[in-house]
Amino acid sequence: MIDFLEGRFPELWLRVGEHIVLTGIATMVATVIGVPLGIVASRVKSLRGVITGIVGILQTIPSLAMLAFLLAVLNKIGALPAVIALTLYGLLPIVRNTLAGLEGVPSEIQEAADGVGMTPRQRLQMVELPLALPVIVTGIRTAAVVGVGIATLSAFIGAGGLGQFINRGLSLSNNQLILLGAIPSALLALLVDAAIGGVHWAVSSRSRNAPLKAMVLSFPMILFFVGVFAASGTNPLTPNASKPESSPSDWIRIGSKNFTEQIILGELMAQLIEKNTELRVERRFDLGGTMICHGALLAGEIDLYAEYTGTGLTAILKEPVRSNPDEVYSLVKGRYAEQFELQWLEPFGFNNTYSITVRESMAERNGWTSISDLKPTALDLTAGWTFEFSERPDGYPGLRDRYGLSFGKVRDLESALMYQAISSGEVDVICAFATDSRVAANALRVLEDDRSFFPPYYAAPVIRKSTLDRRPGLEDVLSPLAGLLTDDVMLRLNFEVDQKKLSPSAVAKSFLEEAGL
Amino acid sequence: MISYRNVSKRFSADVPPAVDSVSFEVAEGETLVILGSSGSGKSTLLKMTNRLLEMSSGNILLDGEDISNCDAISLRRKIGYVFQGVGLFPHYSVRDNVGIVSRLNGEKATVRSRRVDELLELVGLPADEYADRFPNELSGGQQQRVGVARALAADPHYLLMDEPFGALDAITRDALQQEVLALKKRLNKTIVFVTHDIFEALTLGDRIAVMHEGKLEQIDTKESLLAEPATDFVRELFAKPIRQLTECGAFLNSKPGRKAEA
Repeated sequence: MIDFLEGRFPELWLRVGEHIVLTGIATMVATVIGVPLGIVASRVKSLRGVITGIVGILQTIPSLAMLAFLLAVLNKIGALPAVIALTLYGLLPIVRNTLAGLEGVPSEIQEAADGVGMTPRQRLQMVELPLALPVIVTGIRTAAVVGVGIATLSAFIGAGGLGQFINRGLSLSNNQLILLGAIPSALLALLVDAAIGGVHWAVSSRSRNAPLKAMVLSFPMILFFVGVFAASGTNPLTPNASKPESSPSDWIRIGSKNFTEQIILGELMAQLIEKNTELRVERRFDLGGTMICHGALLAGEIDLYAEYTGTGLTAILKEPVRSNPDEVYSLVKGRYAEQFELQWLEPFGFNNTYSITVRESMAERNGWTSISDLKPTALDLTAGWTFEFSERPDGYPGLRDRYGLSFGKVRDLESALMYQAISSGEVDVICAFATDSRVAANALRVLEDDRSFFPPYYAAPVIRKSTLDRRPGLEDVLSPLAGLLTDDVMLRLNFEVDQKKLSPSAVAKSFLEEAGL
Repeated sequence: MISYRNVSKRFSADVPPAVDSVSFEVAEGETLVILGSSGSGKSTLLKMTNRLLEMSSGNILLDGEDISNCDAISLRRKIGYVFQGVGLFPHYSVRDNVGIVSRLNGEKATVRSRRVDELLELVGLPADEYADRFPNELSGGQQQRVGVARALAADPHYLLMDEPFGALDAITRDALQQEVLALKKRLNKTIVFVTHDIFEALTLGDRIAVMHEGKLEQIDTKESLLAEPATDFVRELFAKPIRQLTECGAFLNSKPGRKAEA
C-alpha cells in the first residue's frame, strides 16, 4: 500500500492540481456569468422563466453527452470542453441563489432605499446585493462542491484530474486506483466546501476581526494557486502527464478508449514509436468511448488510436451489419479515407467481437449454448449492457431485431462493473468482449452467435492522413504488430493486466521484448 | 408649503380609489397629522408626496413647483422620510445608515462624520456609544431614533413620517413623541405625520386631517374638530375615546386595590 502510494504520489499531486484548476476556473466563470444572469432574472420578469428554464435544462444533460457535444462543437478535447461543461453545470445553483437572495430582501428595506433617494442601480449595489450576498455565496459553494464531483468525469475527454485514476481504475479493474481518485476527490470536496463556507462566514458575520476575515476570504484563492502550481509541475515519473513543449511536429499523440485492451494497444504502439523513431509520444488514453476517440482524431487532438472494423462500420459509418471480415475491412478503409482523411493500417490480428455471455452454472442448468436458446426465458432475465452496447446498431437494438429477443430488464453498466454484476447475480446476461480475460476469470460462458449477428471486430491502428504524410515512416514502424496479436495473445495480455494487476506499460514492454521488437 | 390639489390614486380599475380627490395645504413650519384607520389612504397620500408612489390624477406642489416636473431621485433626497417599519439597512452601522443621504449626495466623509455625530446627539444617542453599532443591536425605540436622524441628515425642509412609532410600546412611544415636539421647536421643520392613533394626533398636530376611505373628511385644529365636527365620522371618531376615557377614569377612581387591602 505504501509502495503503491509512494510511486504514484507525483501523479496524485498533479491530478489534484488539475482537479482544483478545472473546478476553480469553472466556478469562477460560472459566478461571473451566473450572478449577472440572476440579477437580470430578478429585474426583468419576462426573462425570468427563460433564464431559469435554460440553466435548469443544462443541468439535466448527461455529462458524457455534454462532453461529446462540446467536442463536436469545439473540435477539441482536454481542459477547454471540460471547463465549459463544468461551468454550464455550475450555473443553476448560482443563478437560482442570486435570484432567491435578491427576492429575499424585505420590501420595507427596498422601500427605504428608494425613500432615501437611491437610484435603482445604487439600490442594487448598496443594498440588495450586499444583503443577498450570503445566499449568493451559498449558491457558489454548491456549484463548487458539485463541480468537484462532476470534474471526475473530465477524464473522459482527456482533461486530467482525479477522474483519471478512477477511469483508469475502472478500465483496469484496479480498486486501489479507483480509491486513489475517489478519496482525494471526496476530501477535496470537503476542503472546497469549508473554504467557501469560510467566505460565507466572512461576508455575513459582523465580526470586526478584519485580519481573520481577510485570511478566510483569501483561502479559496490560495487553494486555487496551489492547484495551478501543482498542475503546472512537470512530472518525469508520469509519462501520461507529459505535455508537448517543443514544436508539435516532434510529437505524436496516441489516444485510447477506456478499457484494458485499448490501453495495452496504445502502449504497444507508443513504445514501438518511441523505440524506433526520434518522435516523442503523448498518451491521451482513457477517453470516454468511441465517439470521443473518433471526434478527437477528426479534430487532430490525437494522431491515432486503435479502432475495431465492426465498430467503424456500424457506429461511425452507420452501415448495416456485414459478416465477411475482409469485406468489412476494405469497406471501412475506403470510406474512412474518402470521408474523413483517416487511414486504416494493417489489423493486429485478433477479433474482439461482442459476445453474449451468461454465468456458466446458469448455462449448464438451462442447457444454453447459443443466443437463440435464451429466447423462451428472455423476459425473466436481466441484461447488463455497456452504455455503448445499449445504443449501437450492432448492439442491443440490432440483436433484438435479429433474434427477436427482448430481455425483461436492461441495466446500463460501466464495463468493469458489468463483470461484477454478473458474478454477483445482479444481472444474468452481459455483452462481454471476446478477448476479455474476465470471461474466464468469472466462470462465464460465451453463447454462440448462431444467427451471425455480430460483425467482425478486427482491431487496427487508425491514423490521420496528414500525420502519415508528415511522418511516412510511421506505417513501417507499426507494421510488425500486424497479425502478431492473435485472439489468444490479446486474451493473455488482457489477463496480465486485469487479473495479475501488472501495468499496461510493463505488459506491453515485456511483450515487445519477447517478440524481439 | 405643500399643496395637494385633487390628488387621486387608483391601484386598479376594479376597486374604489385609495385616495379620492383630496385637496389641502400644509403651511410653513406646521406639523400636520393625517389621521385615519388602515385603508383610509393616509400612507398612500404620504408616499405620493415624495413620489414613492405616482398619483393617478391631480397635482402636488412643493413651494409652488409641481413635483411631477421634478426628478424623483433628487426630490427624495430633499425630503426627509421616516418609515413605518423603520427600514434601517441591516448591513450598515448606525453611522452609515444616518450618513447615507449625505453619501448619495457626494459629501466628503469628514463633513459627513461630523454631521452624523451631531444628529445622533440630537436624537439622544451619543455617537461614541452608538455610531458603530448595527441596527439589530438596538432596541426598537433606538432604531426609530436612528430612523429620525437619518431623515434629518440632509437638513431637509420637509419631513414625512409614516406611522413611525406604531410598532413601539406605549412608554417608548410617548418618549419619542416628546422628542419630536422638542425637535420641531428647535429645527422649525414642516412635518407631515401619518398615524392611526388619535392621542398621537392630538399630541403632535398643529392641525389634523381626518381621512376615511380615501376621502378627506375634515382638516382643522384639534379644538375646531372637537367643537365643530363636519361629518358623523369625525364626531364618532372623537366621541369614542372620550367614552373610553370616562369609563377608565371611573374605574381608576373607584380604587379597587384599596378595597382589597381593607
